[in-house]
Amino acid sequence: MSAVDAAAAVEAAPARRHWFVALMRDPAAAIAIIVFVLIAVAAALAPWLAPYDPTESTRNMMLPPVWAERGIPEHLLGTDGQGRDILSRLLYGTRMTLLIGLIAVVAGGGIGSLLGLLAAFYSRLDPWIMRSADVMLSFPAILLGLALVAVMGAGIMPVILALAIATVPDSARIARSVAVGVMKQEFVEAGRAVGLSDRTLFTRYLLRNCISSIMIFMSLRFGQVILLGSALSFLGLGARPPASELGMMASQGRDFMLFAPHIAIIPSLAIFVIVLTANVAGDALRDVLDPRMRS
Amino acid sequence: MKTKKTLGLAAAASITALSGAWASEINIAREMDANNYDPHKTTALAAAEILFMLGDTLIAIEPDMQTITPGLATSWEMSEDGLTYTFKLRDDVKFCDGRAMTADDVVYSFSRWLDPATNSPVNWRAGEVESITAPDATTVVYKLKSPFSELLYQLTQSFATIIDKNQVEAMGADFGIQGMNGTGPYCWESWNPRDQLTMTKHAGYAWGPDFYENKGEAQIDRLVWQVVPEENTRTIALMTDQTQITQYVPYIALEQLKSAPNVNVVQSDSAFWTYFIGFKIDKDTVADPAVRRAINMAVDQDALAQGQFFGGVLGAHSYISPETKDWDPALEAELPPYDPAAANALLDEAGWVPGSDGIRVKDGVRLAPVGYFFTGSTWQKLSEYTQAELRKIGVDLQIEVFDATVAWGKMATQEFDAFGMSYPYVSAGDALNLYFPSTNIPTPNRMNWDDAETDQWLDEGKAALDDATRAGAYSKVLHKVHDANVWLPLIHEPRTIVSSTRLAPIVPHSNYGAALYKGLDLKLVE
Repeated sequence: MSAVDAAAAVEAAPARRHWFVALMRDPAAAIAIIVFVLIAVAAALAPWLAPYDPTESTRNMMLPPVWAERGIPEHLLGTDGQGRDILSRLLYGTRMTLLIGLIAVVAGGGIGSLLGLLAAFYSRLDPWIMRSADVMLSFPAILLGLALVAVMGAGIMPVILALAIATVPDSARIARSVAVGVMKQEFVEAGRAVGLSDRTLFTRYLLRNCISSIMIFMSLRFGQVILLGSALSFLGLGARPPASELGMMASQGRDFMLFAPHIAIIPSLAIFVIVLTANVAGDALRDVLDPRMRS
Repeated sequence: MKTKKTLGLAAAASITALSGAWASEINIAREMDANNYDPHKTTALAAAEILFMLGDTLIAIEPDMQTITPGLATSWEMSEDGLTYTFKLRDDVKFCDGRAMTADDVVYSFSRWLDPATNSPVNWRAGEVESITAPDATTVVYKLKSPFSELLYQLTQSFATIIDKNQVEAMGADFGIQGMNGTGPYCWESWNPRDQLTMTKHAGYAWGPDFYENKGEAQIDRLVWQVVPEENTRTIALMTDQTQITQYVPYIALEQLKSAPNVNVVQSDSAFWTYFIGFKIDKDTVADPAVRRAINMAVDQDALAQGQFFGGVLGAHSYISPETKDWDPALEAELPPYDPAAANALLDEAGWVPGSDGIRVKDGVRLAPVGYFFTGSTWQKLSEYTQAELRKIGVDLQIEVFDATVAWGKMATQEFDAFGMSYPYVSAGDALNLYFPSTNIPTPNRMNWDDAETDQWLDEGKAALDDATRAGAYSKVLHKVHDANVWLPLIHEPRTIVSSTRLAPIVPHSNYGAALYKGLDLKLVE
């Protein structure tokens, strides 16, 4: 590590050491993170935790949850209109929903951030990249999803693609705005003065100093993407039966709202909790990692 | 403030005036709208239920769906060779605009139906016509090139509605969109697509079919047909009296509605609307007759009717309801029984071996037929139930769902292995002549059922001059297509009408699924 490189990394080091402790000191953030992690772990362990095959239908249709009248302990959260165990579908559905959100955010956010950083680093690329981002911003994710489904047919892939594409312009804008500030810093000038390559400057100076802001944005975006993905599945554009996905489960329960509301309410509640915890955790992460918010 | 008060009074006055203008008005909730209300250019149930009220047909059919009864024609005769039908018309019939209807209007209506320029998707229902003439103002002579035993039943359908030549010529492409001047018990008032269609009583109407107690003017002044796509909203609208009658109530709500004090529920005794999954029999996945038979043995239609539709429909084991004209009761013993174990054994014998995921494979073909289905809660229930049942025998039905605007086009292709469809019918001949002639490939014969014997028997049935010959010919077709398990029948759906107790209970009709038919028995309780 060169002297200049070491100097650039020095400023953020103490804050990074304590960011997790600071995060857990905020009760709301701590609860959100714990709940979110529990949900994520339960979803990841769905094949081992789920009491039934989520696609297996029975003649016990529309059983209410165990705490309601007619509820039975064999189906803790009841069954849906096809007699499938809601708890099992919830676990698998959460896994699918989180996976869709994660892939879309990582792919879309990664590509968008890279483009934003490149726009800031190479000023000649800036107008091309940012005007393209402006054009992409004019397509709502739902519309994009509809268009992709029209071309590719319904399924998870078009939804992930639509969400990822919709994440690209926002990520590019955020990354560029942060990177432009970093590019004006003296250590970047110094790096150029000592003859460091573009690659070194980009990865060690620019990317390292922007990554926390990008991560904050992605964590906040994750909640939105989950919501959008669920909305697309609710509209019948996402996962196909018999797979379970939270938006699709809510949609399937819609017909039973008057007489078996738990079929729609349980997955809807799960979406609500996931989005809420992701947003609260993202907010808290920003408070901890963003030096301006700290001050 | 004073201005506000004045405006308020004016609004109240105009509302009073409006409500006073219609002594009786009811709101009818329905699931969807039609693309147009031109009888020759639409096959939608949503169009038929309006056209039956706006217009009339020469002959009508009774709720038993067997008995033909006079409509605009008081009598009719068929020649011995079955080629010429002579209809004698009433002389007192008037269109909504007051013009008297004559035989010329009948000739014009049928000629337009048959005209290639009209491009009617249902002109085959008129038979192979030689000529249609009007020797005098009250006589119509309908000459066929070859006998068509289904003709009278087809002439009871909304496609055979008598229309006004003057209006069609004046409106051009807007006919059925901007207006439709008919002779029916109600007259077109306005249409706001996908929202509302309103109609008002036809003053002086006196030519209702005989089976109605009221053959004269409608007993409700104004009908508002309101599109309410969401079924829970329709149920709530009914329970809160925002709508007074509908035939589109979710089956899950029927039990509760039956016990509700302000609602009447009536259901037709018979079901002439069948839901089925058809197989494209030349596709690798479903070409094997053993696969199609196993699929038919793996699905418990009675449990489907009970579990998914709460007993509001009948499990279908045959392609048409056993109460349909020309159904062959002898076929009932031959229908595949529900027996998943036997279905599994049949597939084992046929060489379909379960893979590591439980889905069967043979000669590199995975038993995962792609099925095209319509969106909507009914097909969601039917397709997912079938999918779950078939997985138990190692068949992985791939459900692909399309909106109605896209689905018809997709189902005219050769892309899929199976398709979900529902259809109304008046007779065995009506159903079989629609789906099984080789000339109807690729649609509506989406199965690619190309069989010379079937074509021959269908022709024999059409050309039959007596009931026994016709029934015999159609029986052979019924046996052949059932033996081949070309379809998986799912449910027969009777017509159910749920109405406010402010309305007198009415008998649901089954003609093309339009339960209210001509609406002549709609009336407010005194």
